Amino acid sequence: MVKINKILIRTILICSYILLSAILVFLISGVLSYLNTGADRSKLLHTQVKKENIYTPEFIWKKDGNEGRAISQQVLNEVENNYLDAWYLKQLAYRENSKTGIDDFYTKNARKNLYAIIDHNLKNKTYVIATSLSHHPDILFYSEDGQLIILEDKDVVEYKKVFQNQKLVLETTEQSDYKHILLLEDGFWRIRHTVRKNIKTYNKEIQKTQTDSLLIKGINYYPQKTPWDMFGDDFDENIIAKDFDIIKKAGLNSVRIFVPYEDFGKAVLKEDKLEKLKTLLDIADEKKLKVVVTLFDFYGNYDVLDWTLTYKHARGIVSKFKDHNAVLAWDLKNEPNLDFESRGKKNVFAWLENLLILIKTIDTNHPVTVGWSDIESATILSDKLDYVSFHYYEDLEDFETEYQKLKTKITNKPLILQEFGLSSYGGFWRPFASSEESQALYHKTIQKVLNKHKIHFMSWTLYDFEEVPTSVVGKLPWRTNPQKKFGFIDSNGKKKAAFEFICE
Amino acid sequence: MIIKKTNTILLLFLTFCGMIFGQQKEINTPQISLLSSQNEFVAGDAIVLKFNTKTDAIFSLYCSNSYGSTIVNSEKINEGISFKLPDYFTQKRGAIHWKVFENKTVILEGNIHIKPKENSASLEMYLGPPSIEAGGIDYTMLVTIPTDSLDNPLPKNSKVAVKTQFLKDEKETEIQTNNLIAYYNIYAPLKSGRMLLSTQHQNKNSKEFDVNIVPAIPKNFTIFYNRNHDYADGNQITTFYTSVLKDKNNNVVSDGTFVYFFITTRENAVLKTFGQTINGVAKAKMIHPDKAENWAVKAFIDGISESNSIKINYQQAIKDFDVVFKNNNTNIKVGPFKSFMNQMIPDGLKVTLTVSQKNKVIKVYHNETNKGFANFILNKNFYKKGKYSFTIKAAGLVQNFENISLW
Repeated sequence: MVKINKILIRTILICSYILLSAILVFLISGVLSYLNTGADRSKLLHTQVKKENIYTPEFIWKKDGNEGRAISQQVLNEVENNYLDAWYLKQLAYRENSKTGIDDFYTKNARKNLYAIIDHNLKNKTYVIATSLSHHPDILFYSEDGQLIILEDKDVVEYKKVFQNQKLVLETTEQSDYKHILLLEDGFWRIRHTVRKNIKTYNKEIQKTQTDSLLIKGINYYPQKTPWDMFGDDFDENIIAKDFDIIKKAGLNSVRIFVPYEDFGKAVLKEDKLEKLKTLLDIADEKKLKVVVTLFDFYGNYDVLDWTLTYKHARGIVSKFKDHNAVLAWDLKNEPNLDFESRGKKNVFAWLENLLILIKTIDTNHPVTVGWSDIESATILSDKLDYVSFHYYEDLEDFETEYQKLKTKITNKPLILQEFGLSSYGGFWRPFASSEESQALYHKTIQKVLNKHKIHFMSWTLYDFEEVPTSVVGKLPWRTNPQKKFGFIDSNGKKKAAFEFICE
Repeated sequence: MIIKKTNTILLLFLTFCGMIFGQQKEINTPQISLLSSQNEFVAGDAIVLKFNTKTDAIFSLYCSNSYGSTIVNSEKINEGISFKLPDYFTQKRGAIHWKVFENKTVILEGNIHIKPKENSASLEMYLGPPSIEAGGIDYTMLVTIPTDSLDNPLPKNSKVAVKTQFLKDEKETEIQTNNLIAYYNIYAPLKSGRMLLSTQHQNKNSKEFDVNIVPAIPKNFTIFYNRNHDYADGNQITTFYTSVLKDKNNNVVSDGTFVYFFITTRENAVLKTFGQTINGVAKAKMIHPDKAENWAVKAFIDGISESNSIKINYQQAIKDFDVVFKNNNTNIKVGPFKSFMNQMIPDGLKVTLTVSQKNKVIKVYHNETNKGFANFILNKNFYKKGKYSFTIKAAGLVQNFENISLW
């Protein structure tokens, strides 16, 4: 008995010792592993580079070889990055008259030249808001030890707005050739010398594009479930194909669609979005519908330093689809005149004008237009656009006279009534404001006018929507609710009375 | 009709001139005209643009150069107004674009060309790579940026003299600037050494630069060996050394060149030793084997060159050894080991004892000699009582003992 007890006590002692040790080891290891968390060795040195696209002018290397050492793609990329950063920082410096960052991209001796100008401009209360739109760089020479490059940059187009005493005094676009000596210092390609020559005022002449002989009978199109978000996750080509069938059968021949700027990835276009746009255009082509592609939906910055990003976006889309058979015209921006007040008419105008020049250089086949929000704005830029488009939501009775007035002002360009329509909403928030009958009557009446003058038209819109994003007309229910009821087909898929008058 | 024609021709001619000289163009109705026609200046010259105007409108001048742009306000003069360009605008080589404007409208515009000064004030020089291989194939590049006193690169085709000195050779070559710089490739001479360089433009000299001409890769070489005696005593050291390593132009290779010696033994095992060159000769050492050997030795400089192969023989130094069993055969004393003059061999000869029973190895003992002997003590607890066979190996010799009983 004593023996068994002894063994029992021993067992308990040994077990408790093991248990205690295990608990201790567990606790200590817990503390150690806690102390080790949070520090990822690979991130200790901050070697990863986060690069965001901030300056993306057109940049086309002329790769015709160079004197000295052969240059590798990697070096070329580094030069491109540093050189563009140098330009960007220069623009920022002259805009703010501050010297921040200049020393990263200009050598000690070259900096002095910029500093002198900054000091002078500060004293004169002058500042310059500028951007460059296109570069055509060419490496002329690369030294054997890889430390020095002669970079020629031809036909650099620079847009500048010069301010004095807070007032815009001059707007200018210049084209010139630059020759730079770049030195590799501290891992940066820095500008050592710059010599500019062959300066001229940029020729803004725009080639006219022949417009289609088609009499446009079209409609502004969003799928019923995804208004203002056509290329989102719910993109469904079957729905689009079905809708295009309805549109075609109704006797229409074209649609107007919208490409949202941010949704498509801003300067760096998202491949999947482009693919969706291509699918849509392919379907349209198959159904024999023409498409007016409206760019820059939901964009509203127009800041000069933002231009290069937007232009890269436009270059990407236009160059991809410039040969697509379904494209009828490029609409630069929907209702940009609504931004005149908040963003400055000059800014918006200059942005549009340069965008127009850009698109014309890429696509010489498709006409270009801007969807002005009212008939009064239609004359803006009208000498440069191929189609003059305007929207009309005013009094129906005045339409014919207003149109004829515009026709006398713009005699040589086809006009498109690019948006018009009437909401059938007459519910709680705006009782008796409208009804399906008055909507039908509206379309019946306007179609007569359109037919009489053979006016190109695109109505608003195919469907009634269940939801309207707040970014379109805000949150107020007496605004959003009417906006939902502009369709020819209601949200249950039933054709409304107006459908009969969708097209004469 | 004729007058009209001459007018047209005149107009065309003027336009042509305008195009050639990058002259000012007239835009709108000229309320203002340029008085000074000079449009080429030397950097540092004061530039004052004078305009004839009668209107009281307030004109401003916009100008932009290689580095930036600014606005200049007008000053009244007798004929009209003048604009004095800021100093730093007049000091930089390149084109200046100017526009006279009033109320956001450009009235006149034009270009001014600024040439660098004639005299250079500094010769920035870049040289690289800093060391090159002798032999006339490798080269280094000298890039120079001659600039004037205002830090402007000199115009195209400015002459720069490149001076080099190497051994007894002093040379001067003339190069010309193109694309803002002038460059020159300096090919390595056949001999190694140090080359000194400088450049000169007009009276301005650069500072001294140097290039190291390092020897090229060595040619194949021969190896030799050196040893105290030819006995395989496992103690003495054989030294291998190379001939003086030279490149194809007879330059002795740089000190520190690694040479690897590979020794192939009689059993095809490979031993490796290495050395670095000093004055072209690399030395490496290897301890003598402890039994008779025929070594084949060949040296390599990795991926570059190799030597001939040499053979070295070692004769057996230890002829025989005794084995004494004591203490129920559990204490085994091996030795004495005697070397070639019957002297006790130095400590450290490896002796192996293998204990086996019925052809099955039970345990292997390794030991080293101490004062000529190696001792093995077998643990009685480990071995059961019985007969065992013992094999003792040392210095390539083997002795077998059968049916030794333990306990």
